[in-house]
Amino acid sequence: MGEVRRLQEAGVLVFSWLCGVLLLGAVIAVIGYLFVHGWRSISLSLIFGATPPLDALLMKRHVFNGLFPAVVGTLSLIVLSVCWAIPIGMASGIYLAEYAGAGTKAFLNLFFDILAGLPSIVVGLFGFSAAIFLNRLFPGSIHPCLLISSIALAFLVLPYIIRTTQMALEGLPLSARLTALSLGASKLQNITHVLLPQSLSGIVSGVILAIGRCAEDTAVIMLTGVVASAGVPRSLFSHYEALPFYIYYISSQYTDREELATGYGAAIILLCICMVLFLTAFVIKRQVSYHALYRA
Amino acid sequence: MEKAVKIRTENLCFSYNGRTILHKTSIEFAEREITAIVGPSGSGKSTFLLTLNRLWEAIPRCSLQGTVAMNFDGSFHDIYREGYPVTRLRRQVGMVFQIPNPLPMSIYRNVAFPLQLKGGLTKETIRAQVEDCLRKARLWDEVHDRLHSSALDLSGGQQQRLCIARALILQPEVLLLDEPTSALDHATAAAIEELLLELKKNCTILLVSHYLNQVTRIADTVIELHNGTLVRKGEKA
Repeated sequence: MGEVRRLQEAGVLVFSWLCGVLLLGAVIAVIGYLFVHGWRSISLSLIFGATPPLDALLMKRHVFNGLFPAVVGTLSLIVLSVCWAIPIGMASGIYLAEYAGAGTKAFLNLFFDILAGLPSIVVGLFGFSAAIFLNRLFPGSIHPCLLISSIALAFLVLPYIIRTTQMALEGLPLSARLTALSLGASKLQNITHVLLPQSLSGIVSGVILAIGRCAEDTAVIMLTGVVASAGVPRSLFSHYEALPFYIYYISSQYTDREELATGYGAAIILLCICMVLFLTAFVIKRQVSYHALYRA
Repeated sequence: MEKAVKIRTENLCFSYNGRTILHKTSIEFAEREITAIVGPSGSGKSTFLLTLNRLWEAIPRCSLQGTVAMNFDGSFHDIYREGYPVTRLRRQVGMVFQIPNPLPMSIYRNVAFPLQLKGGLTKETIRAQVEDCLRKARLWDEVHDRLHSSALDLSGGQQQRLCIARALILQPEVLLLDEPTSALDHATAAAIEELLLELKKNCTILLVSHYLNQVTRIADTVIELHNGTLVRKGEKA
C-alpha cells in the first residue's frame, strides 16, 4: 500500500511539473518567436518614421510612415475603455456581493455570464449599429470613432471587472466583515474603508485582464472606428489607428519580408505597452491600499 | 439595594443555521457590574453576545424574535425598534472577539479607526486617546516605538490587547468580551482583569469565560447558558 501511495504522490508532482513547464515553454516560445522575427525592425524609425521623435511627441509634426499614431491610438483606446469599465464594473461587483438579494443576484449573474460569453464581433456590430443610429440622430457629427470604440470595448471587458470585484469581496472571511461593523462602521464605511482595500489584489487582476483584452481586440474596433491611416487621434470623435489592427492589416497585405517584420515589431510594441500598463496597475494598487489601510 | 438594570431581554429567541440558541429568554443585566456567562462549549455564548449589538444581522441564516432593551441616558430603548441607529448602538456597546481580529492596518490606525469612522475629532485628540487606551490595555510599553508598523505582525496576546484597546476608545457603556484573556499569560491576564474591575465603575461588562477561577475572581453575577436558556447561577454577596 505504502509503495502505491508514494508512487501516486510522485506521479501528481511530476504531472504538475510537466504542466507548468509546458505552459512556461509555450509563453517563452511565443514571445521568443516574436523577438526573433521582430527585433531587427525595432528602432526609433519604426515608431517615428522620418520625423524627429521629440517633434512627434510634442505633436509639432505628423508622423507618416511610423507606428506612432497607432501607439497613441491603442494607448488612448485602452485607457478610455478601462476608465469607463472600472467604475461601472466595480459598482456592479459591489452591488452583487454586498447588496443584491438572492433572486436579483441569480438573475444578474446569469445576465453577466451571457455578457461575458458574447463574441467580440457581436459587440462590435452593436457598436457599429449604435454609431449609425447616432449618425442619423445627429447628422454629420457622429460617425464611428474613438469614443464609440472605447464604449463598445468597455462592454466587452465589464464582465471581467464585475466578476473579479464580486469574487474578491465574497471571498473575504466573515470575521473580516464583522470587525469594522462591531466598531460602529456603517455598511458603506465597512465597504470603502475595509472590504474594498482588502479586495484590491483581486480587483486589479480583473483590471489586468481587461487591459489585455482591450489591447488585443480587433473585431470590435474594426467595426467602430479604426482605420489604416488616420494620424494621431485629435479628439474623441475622430478616427484612429491601433496596433492590433495594424498587425492584422500588415499580416494579410504585406508585400515583402521587411514589411512583415514591421508587423512583428508592432506586436512587440503592443506587448511592451501591456507590460507598462500592468505595472502601472500594480503601482496604483499598492499606493491605494497603502493610503487606505496604513496611512495614519 | 437593588442595582439599576442596564440590559433587559424579553422572550428573546435566537436561532442560527436552523439551530436554536436561545428560547424565550427573559433576563436582566445590572448596570456597572461584571456578569460572567458560562456554559458548555458550543452552547452559543458567543452568539448570544451578538444579539446585544445586533451584529448577527450581518451573518446569513440567523433569525431573532423578542426584544432587547438597553438603558441609555436614563431611559430604556428597544434596540430592535425600526429605525434605531445601529451604528450608534455599536459605538455604545463595544465588543472584543474570542479570536483577535486586528484589521490589516498599522497598530495606531487600528486603535484610532473607530474614532476616524465616527469623525469630527482633531488628530491631537485622537492621538491622545490612542495612547491612553493602549496604556489601559497594557500594550503601550511594547508598541510605542512601532505604532506605524502592521498590527498583523503582533503576537496573539498582543493582538488581543490591541483589540481590547480598540474597543475602549469609544468609551462604550456596555462591553461584550468573548474570552478576552485566552491568549494571555498569567501576569497580563491579571492586569486585564484589574482593568475590567477599573472599567466597571462606569461600564457594564458581559464576559464569556471558560476560566472558572477568573469568573469567581471578578464576576459579580454568573449566568449559565444551557439548552437555550440563561439561568442565573449566583451572585457575589
